[in-house]
Amino acid sequence: MAAEPELITAVIVDDHVAIAAGVRYWCEQADPPIHLIDAGARLAEVWTGPGAEADVVVFDLELVPGQPQFGELRRLVDSGRRVVVYSQHADDATAIKCIDLGALAYLTKREGPDHLVPALRTAARGMPYTAPSLSGAIVADDTPDRPRLSPREIEVLRSWFASSSKELVAAKLHIGVKTVDTHITRVRIKYANAGRAASTKSELVSRALDDGLITLAELNER
Amino acid sequence: MAEDQTRAQLQRGLRVAVLLVAAGSALGLGLLNLTQNLHRYGSPAVQFCAYGALTAVLAVEAVLVVRERPWSVWRTPAIVVVLAASAASYCALPDGRTSTTTDWIFGAANWVGLVVLLDRPLRTTVSFLVAHELLAFLNLLLFHDVTRSSLARFATGSVTVFGIPLCVAVVAVVLGRIGEEAAAAARELERVRTAEAVAAASHRRRAQRFAELSATAVPLLEGLADGSLVPSDPGVRCRAAIEAARMRRLFAETDDVENPLLHELRHCADIADRKGVEVELDARGRWPVPPVPVRRDLTDAALTVLATAGSWARVTVVGGDDLVSVSVVADCGELALPPPRTPGVQVETVGSGATTWMEARWQPSPN
Repeated sequence: MAAEPELITAVIVDDHVAIAAGVRYWCEQADPPIHLIDAGARLAEVWTGPGAEADVVVFDLELVPGQPQFGELRRLVDSGRRVVVYSQHADDATAIKCIDLGALAYLTKREGPDHLVPALRTAARGMPYTAPSLSGAIVADDTPDRPRLSPREIEVLRSWFASSSKELVAAKLHIGVKTVDTHITRVRIKYANAGRAASTKSELVSRALDDGLITLAELNER
Repeated sequence: MAEDQTRAQLQRGLRVAVLLVAAGSALGLGLLNLTQNLHRYGSPAVQFCAYGALTAVLAVEAVLVVRERPWSVWRTPAIVVVLAASAASYCALPDGRTSTTTDWIFGAANWVGLVVLLDRPLRTTVSFLVAHELLAFLNLLLFHDVTRSSLARFATGSVTVFGIPLCVAVVAVVLGRIGEEAAAAARELERVRTAEAVAAASHRRRAQRFAELSATAVPLLEGLADGSLVPSDPGVRCRAAIEAARMRRLFAETDDVENPLLHELRHCADIADRKGVEVELDARGRWPVPPVPVRRDLTDAALTVLATAGSWARVTVVGGDDLVSVSVVADCGELALPPPRTPGVQVETVGSGATTWMEARWQPSPN
């Protein structure tokens, strides 16, 4: 789409120095590189100074161990920030809750640069990124008000979770890698359309409708 | 329990038999003696009252036998009634008639007392019989002339009055003991049979386990033993890793865990982990526990991939009520996987360069 790649800026909030250093290294190695601002454990630096201008916020959900900061996540999302949650925890309910609050991506810290860098790029465009762990969480989601997914979408999510390679998913299901992406994005649109309203979510849904990624009828099918 | 039932039947039979004997000797014979000597009694009414008291006790016993109840709290009052009836009858006896047919109650009350005390220990019955004898002897000493003939009558009468009920009481005790021993023997037999069945079952299980391993593990071990297979051969090492994982899985199958499939997969993954392969295991969802043959099929392909993996492997399980899927992605190149043996399991392999993705799926049949 973009003829000249823009330099993406991200700000990371994480109390672990090693994590911030690792993410910085991955961002520098990325092609094109991503500019990373390290806010340490100070949330204020996301709101003021250079951090306030960053395209994407990389947010450690548990700045205080044992207390996921859903409130902070909600504030960030409500003020229009594009958030990638980078969490130590892999439990399904937390992952689903984060995307319900409006995070564009949820990654566990086991998921390295293979997923973090694409997640940052995708989130910078205001689009969702679904890492394999989140994909697994969506497949296992059995809450009563979950959006209705098609069997094919579930199959793609399950395969993506299992293989963590879109090439393998495409080969197995005899579809193109792009189609794999489309299926995964459609699921996220359905999730964005459900539950709590958030600016990132409504932006997503309207863009998906504009792009013809999903139809209104499909969205309203519950 | 069968043995308890046999014991109860034995005791009931004995009770009925003794009741019939008591009814015959106390009521039948007693009434005969009473009516034949009716003209001799000073007060026949007292004798009939005593007779009535004994009849009443035996009637109560008959009711208790039918209802299969013990005497319990009514035992002592019944014995008091029997002894009181004897005492009353003795007091109203004409002179010089002790231990004769006129003294009908001497050979009747002992049986009635025995009936009441049949299920008590032997010493209780003996005490009663002694009391009965003492009562008759005191009567002789206090109210009658103690002559040689009266003493001789008392002595000869006592042989049957005391001796025969005592024999019956002893038989009752012996029968009770035999019943207990029979019950104990039956219990022991049951225990031995159970132990035997358990031993047979575990032997069968072990034999089956051995048979399961023998097809693949034994040829490998034999090859290593006779030198036809060398441990330095990567193929042999891979086979050994697969067999090691199979054994680990086999041992883990009998563990009592909440999620046997994950438990067995962890054991399989551990073998790869020990080889230095970086293994990541992730599971999502909840699923019904698959039966052992299905779990073997689901894990067999996974353990083969894991044992062959070069440096990394990702093992995932996604499950729900209608599908359980076990996937392994690893750098293990092309692989020939054994086909699943259970009908509900499908194994699919996708390769992309050095990376292989194996997925085994099981669809629980709805029932």
